[in-house]
Amino acid sequence: MIKRLAAVAAFVAVPLLTHAQTIDGPALYQQRCAACHGKAGRGDGPFAGLLDPRPRDLTSGRYKFRSTDTGSLPTDDDLAASITNGLHGTAMPSWKRFLSPEQVSALVSQVKTFSPRFGSEQPKAIAISAELPSSPQSVDAGRAVYEKLKCGACHGTDARGAGAIARELKDDWGRATVATNLSEPWAFRGGSTVRDIFLRFRTGMNGTPMPSFLGAATEPELWQLAVYIKSLGRKPLWEMAGQEVSSFYAEQAKSAQSDPVRHGEYIAQITGCAFCHSPFREDSTMIDELKYAGGQRFDVVPFGTFVSYNLTSDKQTGLGGWTDDQIKTFVTSGVRRDGSRMIPFPMPWPNFANMKPQDLDALVAFLRSLPPVANRIPLPQSPNIVSYLTGKFSMLILHKDPPLWTYPGNAGAAAVAASSGSSR
Amino acid sequence: MKRFLKWFGISALALGVIAFFAFLYFIPPFMLMKPSEFSGPAGKAGPDLSKISDPGERAMAERGHYLVTLGSCADCHATPTAQGPDIDHMYLAGGMKTSRKGFGTYITMNLTPDKATGVGNWSDEDLMRVWRNGIAPDGHQVPGHLMPWPAFSHWSDEDVHAVIVYLRHTTPIAHAIQKPDPSEPSMGTPAAFEEDFAGADYAAPRPK
Repeated sequence: MIKRLAAVAAFVAVPLLTHAQTIDGPALYQQRCAACHGKAGRGDGPFAGLLDPRPRDLTSGRYKFRSTDTGSLPTDDDLAASITNGLHGTAMPSWKRFLSPEQVSALVSQVKTFSPRFGSEQPKAIAISAELPSSPQSVDAGRAVYEKLKCGACHGTDARGAGAIARELKDDWGRATVATNLSEPWAFRGGSTVRDIFLRFRTGMNGTPMPSFLGAATEPELWQLAVYIKSLGRKPLWEMAGQEVSSFYAEQAKSAQSDPVRHGEYIAQITGCAFCHSPFREDSTMIDELKYAGGQRFDVVPFGTFVSYNLTSDKQTGLGGWTDDQIKTFVTSGVRRDGSRMIPFPMPWPNFANMKPQDLDALVAFLRSLPPVANRIPLPQSPNIVSYLTGKFSMLILHKDPPLWTYPGNAGAAAVAASSGSSR
Repeated sequence: MKRFLKWFGISALALGVIAFFAFLYFIPPFMLMKPSEFSGPAGKAGPDLSKISDPGERAMAERGHYLVTLGSCADCHATPTAQGPDIDHMYLAGGMKTSRKGFGTYITMNLTPDKATGVGNWSDEDLMRVWRNGIAPDGHQVPGHLMPWPAFSHWSDEDVHAVIVYLRHTTPIAHAIQKPDPSEPSMGTPAAFEEDFAGADYAAPRPK
């Protein structure tokens, strides 16, 4: 029990270590990092399941953002840079404001203890040639390199990240990964200077399908490519004004229609579908194999017990047997296909009623693309009349907020391995 | 006569009790209202954006409003009443108590641009950070199982920006968020909790 409390304390309370004279690296790691990277650095903390990209598995020694040769470990400076600057566009924040350089280096030492490779290897930053200044000639030359190296196969000929094989990309852990949209440099995880971009081609990104291109191209060619990629950056929304914004949104809506599954996935992510439609273990790690397969139990006092539905395309227990219209009707009005109705929570369908038709279509297209997972979900259960009346009494007469309880474990029929995420 | 009065009294009392329970049983009439009556307020809540003169900013704020609606922000970030969140008066002004077993009880933040009690003094960067990884400007991390920032960390920077533009246009509401009572029975971790909330008011802006 004490152990569990301590673990919970690490996630809930993340106080600043302002008075510490000597820095306790392991404790600092548990406070600041374990919520995502897991207690033992396996990348399986309580919040890991919902994150995309997933937090790094620190035990593997495979790091994307390095100044060392492909396949090598990162240097201490590389690790410190990732912690200090964060990885843009992900849940990894910049810790500059909250951690002192000494605390960052204590964390670097702690992170290195998770992989035995750091004990036997001495990573060394590669020597790189001088940066190529940008010019129309170097941009043109870089465009030729982009074609020569077939970057477009993943990143697309328009470099928007939608290449022919982009949807098939998997990382070393077998999880789907994306090809970066090269027109949005602010979202480049490892930074967007020409040197940062060059390093990604030169050193590769370990653990992902992005290889090192040294050998396939010369170093000067890679500099040309970096200059070309840098030139692709479009204007971000926060620098636009006036009609530019409306035409940007119109263009976005148009490109969303060309790839409804991808757009639908984004809609599912921004509405947080997986947050409720996936079960979590006692230690709050998500049961990955049941992501989107429902099974999370909610007690809505005084209205009864609800279990989130299986959204995968399974014919018997998921949405596979529902028509598009039935899904849309439920999402926007809470009316099930048998005509029965859902109260306006915990599924916030009154909000989803405002969803634009094209977003709704895309969402359905995405849900249809989820591989079937059999997980039979029990029907909602009404409370007994006594708890119903006492619940309503305390809500309406005593003006107590109606509590909503969520429970760990899968309430559906699918069997789940009892092992917790952090002891896998 | 006395006997009659006694019986009359008893049956009146019984009838009253039955009527009271029947009343309790039938309100609020979730199942008697049409779905459209529920979904109306959620979509119409918020400031009048048509008054924004710059068309670019207006388009961003409209997009932000749409995203705030789909993200169901106001379902938690509005003071609850017995009829649901009070989006007429306390839209995005926080104040809902939310609990999870083992994680304790928290009270949702005031997201309106009120300088003293809301996020009026937070920078864009502060808002972006709390959105992506739940870290408030004072350094404490919002538990991701109550405020689902892990589910929201996928939003594109441009969409988060649109939400920030929208939040800056909402009506500022002075509504100080109290730190929740650590003795709440649902609190799983009082010690950890007190440590985290040792400061006075965690929603108040901190000097940088």
